[in-house]
Amino acid sequence: MAGMSDAEVQGQIAHMIAFIEQEASEKVEEIECKAEEEFNLEKGRLVTQARTKIIEHFDKKIKQVELQKKIQHSNLLNASRLQVLKHKERLVNNLFETISKDSARVSSDDPKKYKQALSDLTLQALCRVLEPNVTVQVRQQDLQLMKSLLPGIKERYTGISQGKYQVEIAIDEQNFLPSDLIGGIVLTAQGGKITINNTLDERLKHIGRQMQPQIREMLFGPNPNRTFMD
Amino acid sequence: MTVGMAQKTEGIQQLLIAEKKATERVVDARKRKAQRIKAAKREADTEIQAFKNEKDAQYKHYEAEILGKKSDNEIQIQQVTTKKVQELDVMLKKNSTTAADAVKSMLFKIDIQLHENVKL
Repeated sequence: MAGMSDAEVQGQIAHMIAFIEQEASEKVEEIECKAEEEFNLEKGRLVTQARTKIIEHFDKKIKQVELQKKIQHSNLLNASRLQVLKHKERLVNNLFETISKDSARVSSDDPKKYKQALSDLTLQALCRVLEPNVTVQVRQQDLQLMKSLLPGIKERYTGISQGKYQVEIAIDEQNFLPSDLIGGIVLTAQGGKITINNTLDERLKHIGRQMQPQIREMLFGPNPNRTFMD
Repeated sequence: MTVGMAQKTEGIQQLLIAEKKATERVVDARKRKAQRIKAAKREADTEIQAFKNEKDAQYKHYEAEILGKKSDNEIQIQQVTTKKVQELDVMLKKNSTTAADAVKSMLFKIDIQLHENVKL
C-alpha cells in the first residue's frame, strides 16, 4: 500500500487493539459496578424484609405470653378470693350449728323462757293467718306444755284483736314434730291448705339467711369492698 | 502476495483476536454479575438465619424469666391467702360469742303483730 509505512500500519493496529481493550475494560468495570450495586440492593432488600417479619413474629409471641401471664394472675387472685369466701361460709355455718345445739338446750334448761316462746310463736302465727280454726303441731315432749298454754293463747289473741277475733286451737296428737328440733310450732289452717312453720329451727334458718351481712360484719369486721350500705 | 499484503492480513487477524478477547471478557463479566446476584440471596439467607436465631434465643430467655416469675407469683398469692384464712380464724374466735348471743336473742325476740290489712 502506498501512503503508510509498515511501521505506521503496525502502529495504527496496535492503537486500535489498545482501543478495543480499553473499551472492553470500561465495559467490564461498568458491569462489575452494576453487579455490586444490584447485589447490595437485593441482599439489603431481602434482609430488611425478613428482619421486619421476624421482629413482628416475636413481638406477637411476647404479647401472647404477657396476656397469658395477666390471665393467670387474675385467675389466681380469683381463686384466692373464693378460698377466703368459702372459709368464711364454713365458719358461719359452724357457728350456726353451735347456736342450734345451744338453743336446743333452752327447752330443758330454761323452761320459763321456752314456755314464753311457745306461746309467742303460736300467737304470732295466729295473728298472721287470722283463721278461726287452726291446728298446731308440736314436739312430743311439748304436748302437755302446749295443752296448758292454749287457754292463755286464745285469750291473748282475742285481746290483741280487741275482741274481734276468736280462735279454736286443736293440737295434732297424731303427727308430732321431730324431737330433736330446737322447738316451736307448725300451725295449719283450712285443712292443711295454709301452713306456717314457726319452729325455732325455721326461725334460725331465716335469721341465718336474712342477717348474713350483719353476722359477717360482727364476726369479720366491715367489708372494705362494699359500696352500698342501704 | 507481497510482503505488505501478508502484513495487512496479520493486522486484521490481530484485530479480530483482540475483538474476540474483548467480547469474551464482557461475556465473562456478565456471567459473574449473574453469579453475584445469586450470591445475594444466599448471603441474605445466612444473615437472616443468624438474626432469627438471635431473636429466638432472646425470646426463650424472656419466656424462662416469665415462667420463673409466674411460679413466684403463685407462691406469693398462696401465702397471702393462707394468712387471710388464719386472720379469719382469729377474728371468729374473738367475735363468735358476741355474734352467737346476738343471734340467740334475735331467735327469741318474737314480734307479734296483727296482719297489716286488719281493720279493727
